[in-house]
Amino acid sequence: MINDIARRLWLSVFRVGWPRTRQTRVEAMLSSFVLHVHPTWVRVHALRPTYTLGLGLVSFYLFLVLTVTGLALMLYYVPHPDAAYRSMKDLEYAVTFGMFLRNAHRWAAHGMVAVVFLHMCRVFLTGAYKAPREFNWVVGVLLLLLTLALSFTGYLLPWDQLAYWAITVGTAIVAYFPVLGPQVRYLLLGGHEIGAAALLRFYVLHCLVLPLAMAFLVALHFWRVRKDGGLSAPPGRLHRRVLAWPHLVFRELLVLVLVLVVIHAAALLFDAPLEEIADATRTPNPAKAPWYFLGLQELVRYGAIFGGVVVPTGLVLALLLLPYLDTHPRGVGVWFAPERRTANAVFVAIALAVVAVTIVGTFFRGPNWAWVWPW
Amino acid sequence: MGVAVVKPQGLGRRVSPGLLLVFGLLSVALVATVVWAVWKEARAEWRVWQGRYAALEAGAPVTAEDGARGLQQIWLPDLDRVDRCTSCHLGIAEPERAGAPQPFRAHPGRWLEIHRPDRYGCTACHGGQGEATSYRGAAHGPIPYWPEPMASRELMEARCGTCHRERRPKGTDWLARGRALMADRNCTACHEVPGHDAAEVRAPRLDGLALKVPPSWLRGWLKKPNGYLPKSRMGDFRLSERDVEALAAFLLQPHGKLALDRTDWSKADTEKGGELFRASRCVTCHEVNGRGGTLAPALTHVGAKASRDWLYSWIRDPHRFQPKTLMPRFQFRDDEARDLAAYLSSEYGEAPEGFQASDAAPSPALAEEGRGIYEKRGCYSCHELEGFPALARIGPKLAAIGDRVLEPAPLVARGIRTTLPNWLFTKVSGPERVLDAARMPTFGFAEDEAAAVTVALLSLRAREAPPARTTRDPVRVPPAYGSPTSGGKPYEPQGEFGALVRRYRCLSCHTIGGSGHVTATGAPLSTVRLDRIGSQLTREHLERYIAKPYGVRVALPERMPHLNVAPEEARTLAAYLSTVMVDDAIEGTVPVDAVTVARGKQLFDRHGCVGCHIVGDKGGYVGPDLNGCGARLKPGWAVAWLLEPERWKPGTLEPDHGLTRPEAEALTAYVLSLPARKAKGAGR
Amino acid sequence: MVAAGTTGLVAGALGLLGALARSVVPDVLYEPPRRFPVGRPGDFPPASATFVSERRLFVFNTPEGFYAISAVCTHLGCNVNHEVGKGFACPCHGSTFEEDGRVRKGPAAWPLPRFSMSLSRRGELVVDTRRTVGADFRLKA
Repeated sequence: MINDIARRLWLSVFRVGWPRTRQTRVEAMLSSFVLHVHPTWVRVHALRPTYTLGLGLVSFYLFLVLTVTGLALMLYYVPHPDAAYRSMKDLEYAVTFGMFLRNAHRWAAHGMVAVVFLHMCRVFLTGAYKAPREFNWVVGVLLLLLTLALSFTGYLLPWDQLAYWAITVGTAIVAYFPVLGPQVRYLLLGGHEIGAAALLRFYVLHCLVLPLAMAFLVALHFWRVRKDGGLSAPPGRLHRRVLAWPHLVFRELLVLVLVLVVIHAAALLFDAPLEEIADATRTPNPAKAPWYFLGLQELVRYGAIFGGVVVPTGLVLALLLLPYLDTHPRGVGVWFAPERRTANAVFVAIALAVVAVTIVGTFFRGPNWAWVWPW
Repeated sequence: MGVAVVKPQGLGRRVSPGLLLVFGLLSVALVATVVWAVWKEARAEWRVWQGRYAALEAGAPVTAEDGARGLQQIWLPDLDRVDRCTSCHLGIAEPERAGAPQPFRAHPGRWLEIHRPDRYGCTACHGGQGEATSYRGAAHGPIPYWPEPMASRELMEARCGTCHRERRPKGTDWLARGRALMADRNCTACHEVPGHDAAEVRAPRLDGLALKVPPSWLRGWLKKPNGYLPKSRMGDFRLSERDVEALAAFLLQPHGKLALDRTDWSKADTEKGGELFRASRCVTCHEVNGRGGTLAPALTHVGAKASRDWLYSWIRDPHRFQPKTLMPRFQFRDDEARDLAAYLSSEYGEAPEGFQASDAAPSPALAEEGRGIYEKRGCYSCHELEGFPALARIGPKLAAIGDRVLEPAPLVARGIRTTLPNWLFTKVSGPERVLDAARMPTFGFAEDEAAAVTVALLSLRAREAPPARTTRDPVRVPPAYGSPTSGGKPYEPQGEFGALVRRYRCLSCHTIGGSGHVTATGAPLSTVRLDRIGSQLTREHLERYIAKPYGVRVALPERMPHLNVAPEEARTLAAYLSTVMVDDAIEGTVPVDAVTVARGKQLFDRHGCVGCHIVGDKGGYVGPDLNGCGARLKPGWAVAWLLEPERWKPGTLEPDHGLTRPEAEALTAYVLSLPARKAKGAGR
Repeated sequence: MVAAGTTGLVAGALGLLGALARSVVPDVLYEPPRRFPVGRPGDFPPASATFVSERRLFVFNTPEGFYAISAVCTHLGCNVNHEVGKGFACPCHGSTFEEDGRVRKGPAAWPLPRFSMSLSRRGELVVDTRRTVGADFRLKA
């Protein structure tokens, strides 16, 4: 009797049983909400770790980790200058697993910025943005910007010196933008200074607005992958296909566990930084933006308009328009296609330049933004 | 995680062995990281200590007021503090744990009875990071990013001073000394100091300086003030030779319209002057040859400083030269003033070391430069000078000095440890050690004095303690000598009485209604408040005493000087004090029948009063001589005093014997009936 | 290998869920302590009931000794009023309680709880709202 009810309950949720046969393996993918994002058949090409490096998936998992840890952290965080820093201390000292959660959140956030960037590099270098995937590339660029915005808004929340001055510098870079820059900064901070209003706005953006936008765009991104014919592959070739269950699903599980293990290890080995409580009267020397904006900060040093406006606007516009400018159909689905030598060379050069100025800004700049050796 | 349940069947068939191996290894790694995280949490320091304390409890239980376990927290919203120290210091409030090993040992002393942990927490006094639950994190020593490590025993007094804003907070040693020194050295002249009032600044007006001092003395003084006064309240401004010349030139220019009184010095009698000097008890306030009071400057070398004519004029009427001086205008005859000036000039005329330099007048051409130095070094902050405006204070506010954040680079370059206490100590000891161009003078503090001032400075925090937790001295207002209006002061005597009070500078030593001069120790020089003196002492005694004071308490070094108050003046003062300065609550009489007196005698003997008071020819020297005190004391006052000595005079040596009112009345009846001694009535 | 991997996966997932669940249990509270002094015995007149408003309880001083009764109505948590000799009345939904805390009239279903009381070393009456005591509890002070 009870067995019967249990079986019926199970089947009402999972329409097919454990997939064993070819038919149920197909049905499983179609009947499950979680799995139906996947195709039932995938090209072996798309499963090759050397092709995708799993970067898109890792980005998504990191977003999940951030969501779960972020929700737990929200239970202890008070977004007000009088209480925010104390919240950090509580997480460190008076919440069981509090430091673990905070560390995991911090490192996953930094990791996500890096992995999303690498994912974009992979897509470019394999020519995967070409028709019919132009729009999904645009969505991807927006996701990169959202990732940066999420990380940036989260950076202020600990309300320590590191946070305060990084956001001071970061929003100052925003204000370099002609006409709109100061207005955007004013709206972002809810005033002229970084205070209670700014903290609340960053909090709302970080915990509500941006994650929702991110979730929507991620869904769109995934949906477009399906609609655009799955992951990119060299055209005109006959591709061997396998069933997604278990070949795709199992690999995705492995990547999930891998991400968890790495994030856990990082969270256990390295504590997230927390400096003195924010103090508007004391500027650390040097005051640095979050690391992913240090490239910009470095460039702003050479010219405010050049570093604060021309370069970031140019880069973002170039990325957004890229698939509509580069209409050459060849070179899709393989790394470093010979037909795309010039495009790849230009991209790699720019990407390396971005990485280089970021590294310079992060490690080679000391007090008064003077050159220092990191060792 | 829709694929959480992966059954093994069939998987091996479809997935390569390599992938399965990766799966196995990753799963094990996942479990390992989770176990690691749980282990780390379970071995948190506070949990380990609580385990050990539980073992200790099991061995020797105490009746814990609160046997709660788990993370302990004292939350003090008004102080914005969260202290979790008691999570490990579990025996801190259990006297039975006095010998327990740390961190379980009980708090020493009785501090927790005065400062209950649930109301004061731990870090308010000790510093450190109260939020932390680990030894290192609690900042038992300095840690990065936490600016407030736990304070040493001495520096902890600075933390006492954040709430205890009195000049001499009870039980503090360094803090009280530091605050007294800060008041004494006129810190508040150049710096705004919370708890110190600009009206406290004491320094002479410099008008007519040329009439008073020779250039040699002025040069020596400007170069090295403590060469003349070892305890000089003015610091050493480290002036160059040229600056000294320029400043001397400026100061020796005629300023103001003062002129000296002339007298015939050929008639001067230094011997009579010496007698007068001793009889007038000048040493109550002035020190000579290392002995005497500290209220006024030492006179050991006064003859080398001040001209004879100036001394004569000064003694005749000090208030003409220094309207704000604490010195009374003694009722001397002109010949007495002359003899006294002659005595001081000859007896104490030797110039100290370094003051014998050239007596040539400095070049007037330098005067303008000197004026610049006078302004730049903020001389005007302490000294008034005719024709020189009172400008803003030159020093920074000290309100948040205890939270000052140092710029380490310049200190490191000078080899100074970059902790705030060390920086303050170095700066206070010698400002030039911290900054070559420092404008602040060197006060020549000894090491312990500099340390005391450091503690006092550290008590000035950016965020003041909430008013409900703050204790302060009752408001004391310096006497308004020399100010034409009372300017909202609570009490300023008026009329004939007021004129006499100002002439004789009564409020330099006594207080009326909280108004009166306060010495560096935070208390007035005389312990006798005049507020209710008319209810304490008989009018006849007051009149007699004012006209010719004598030592009531034999052991007391400070005695009222002989002001030579004229008899009618003494009558006026006594009349006013007896009618106005009264407290009806302590007026009253006692029955003086033989039975009561006899009972009083018994009580007198039982309580051993004679140990401190002289009766007949025997007795101690701590308390006042009681022979004939019936002519002095009013009975109501004596009763009130015996009942609650501490109420009338906090810190008095008179013990509270816990007498009942009839007992106090009997004792009073006996004591007031004691006859006066024949041989020594009053004075010498 | 598959079995080991699956077991590890399940164990790891359960462990993570457990850790997450533990993290939401607060270890410290930003609340006034639940064991607190209410004053010295002499602060409470003989044969009186004193409402300690900030802690929502009544302190009774009777000839037999002291006791503390919660002022929180057991129905829906309003503060009850006390009238000497007449007991307690809740203004919200009309529950009334006897002088000793028993329900006289609903809708409240349970009596007002009595809290443990003790005398501290400093001679103060200390109420512990974590511990309830029976109706016969009296503290001699």
